[in-house]
Amino acid sequence: MKKNVFHISKRFPWLIRLLVLCLIISTYIWALQGLQTDFSLFKWSYVTDFLSRFFPPDFSVLDIAIQRLIETIQMSIWGTTIGAILSLPIAILSARNIAPAWLQVLANFLQNAVRSVPSIILGLIFVAATGLGASAGTLALGIYTIGYLGKFYQEGIEAVNPRSLESLRVAGASKLQIFQYGILPQTLPLGLGYTLYMFEYNIRAASVLGLVGAGGIGFELKSYIDAFEYNKALTMLLVLLFVVTVIDAISNELRHRLESK
Amino acid sequence: MNKSIIDCHKVETSYTKNLKRPILNGINCEIKRGEFVALLGLNGAGKSTLLRSMVGLVPLQKGAIRINGTLLDSRSLPGIRRQVGMLFQGGGLINQLSAIENVMCGRFGSRTSWQTLFGFPKKDRRHALELLEQFGLREKAYQKTSQLSGGQQQRVAIARALIQSPEILLADEPITGLDVLACQQVMETLSELHSELGMTIVTVLHDLGIAAEYAQRAIVLDEGRIVYDGAASEVQAYFNINNK
Repeated sequence: MKKNVFHISKRFPWLIRLLVLCLIISTYIWALQGLQTDFSLFKWSYVTDFLSRFFPPDFSVLDIAIQRLIETIQMSIWGTTIGAILSLPIAILSARNIAPAWLQVLANFLQNAVRSVPSIILGLIFVAATGLGASAGTLALGIYTIGYLGKFYQEGIEAVNPRSLESLRVAGASKLQIFQYGILPQTLPLGLGYTLYMFEYNIRAASVLGLVGAGGIGFELKSYIDAFEYNKALTMLLVLLFVVTVIDAISNELRHRLESK
Repeated sequence: MNKSIIDCHKVETSYTKNLKRPILNGINCEIKRGEFVALLGLNGAGKSTLLRSMVGLVPLQKGAIRINGTLLDSRSLPGIRRQVGMLFQGGGLINQLSAIENVMCGRFGSRTSWQTLFGFPKKDRRHALELLEQFGLREKAYQKTSQLSGGQQQRVAIARALIQSPEILLADEPITGLDVLACQQVMETLSELHSELGMTIVTVLHDLGIAAEYAQRAIVLDEGRIVYDGAASEVQAYFNINNK
């Protein structure tokens, strides 16, 4: 059977490509059916009407926006740092080139478990634990970060040049020495780049956490939208857009420098 | 000169599905102290695997390897690795570390994790600098190895292997990917280590001419077995006869 398939694929390579194409198209059709989208309901006029209510921005709340934004950045700094510290041992335990198989399974399961919990649920959990405010959001970001940085760090560790590690092993290096002098220098530039990316991402995620009262700019944003004060909400969004753009530019430059090392 | 320093007895590695045989399939060879041996053969013949098995990087399924009379096993491995230096294809260096840091990494066998946690002792630093000076790399000591040329990287790797004063130097394709001049420099260095320090050198090579020029003895592997073991100067004739 296996031989026949191999024979057919060799004789008619276009048939395989056609089958793959059909499979991809059917997957998209299946997914669209699940959405039960009714395009006739879509009206541009509703969209433009809603968006027009945001203009002009009301800058009288600029000081509040800046205050909340600073809180969001502070949450992101601590959340990313807590997440990065916790991610490192989990990444080491899940890396194929270092950890034994049974530990990899456990560590990967932990990563997947954390990743499968939406940030907003983590926010609710920590609001229940610490009460409303930025500390709940910071802890939620910290745990949320593990799911992603753990995976990124793991991939960085797995991409280390195996020959270089073997050469240290032959020189008689202990496991700690291999980690300190072999794995860490090779993964650090990439790891720092990922951490910066996560910091930038967490600023946006922190805005969402505000919706459940876990601090940050999102809380204010939701309050203005609930009160139909769209012009004030736009000021919040503009301040957020400005900061995200600046941080994105800075972290892009830093990442570029780190990765080129 | 006559005492055996490496002794491989019926060495066999585990079965490989791709090759439908073990990579090493009953290797018997004895390398004497102070010999310069070239390992030759086609890709997949088992040259690198044989070299790597001599430092415990490839587990054996059957047979035994003795280094300096000591049976290679998990208990004797740390001691054996202090006697053997190894050069990897492409150097096997940590590109993000400086040349001197890479050389000092060769001292791990004699330093505990605690001793190197905050850097290497000054003694090791001095020794590493002396070695880099010997290889004409004193100026490049604090440069990242990624910024060095292929030939310079390979010389840093040689310095790293020499910092632990090994009796045996194993080199896995040390000149692959290097330009003609760098090839010559690396092979001259190996030749000097052999002639001046009496070091035993076993190197995997692909070039019969270079093997004949620098090595005394050639071992040719084919499908995990030794098919020629004799003078390096006659290996070309062996291939000529077998290719007819």
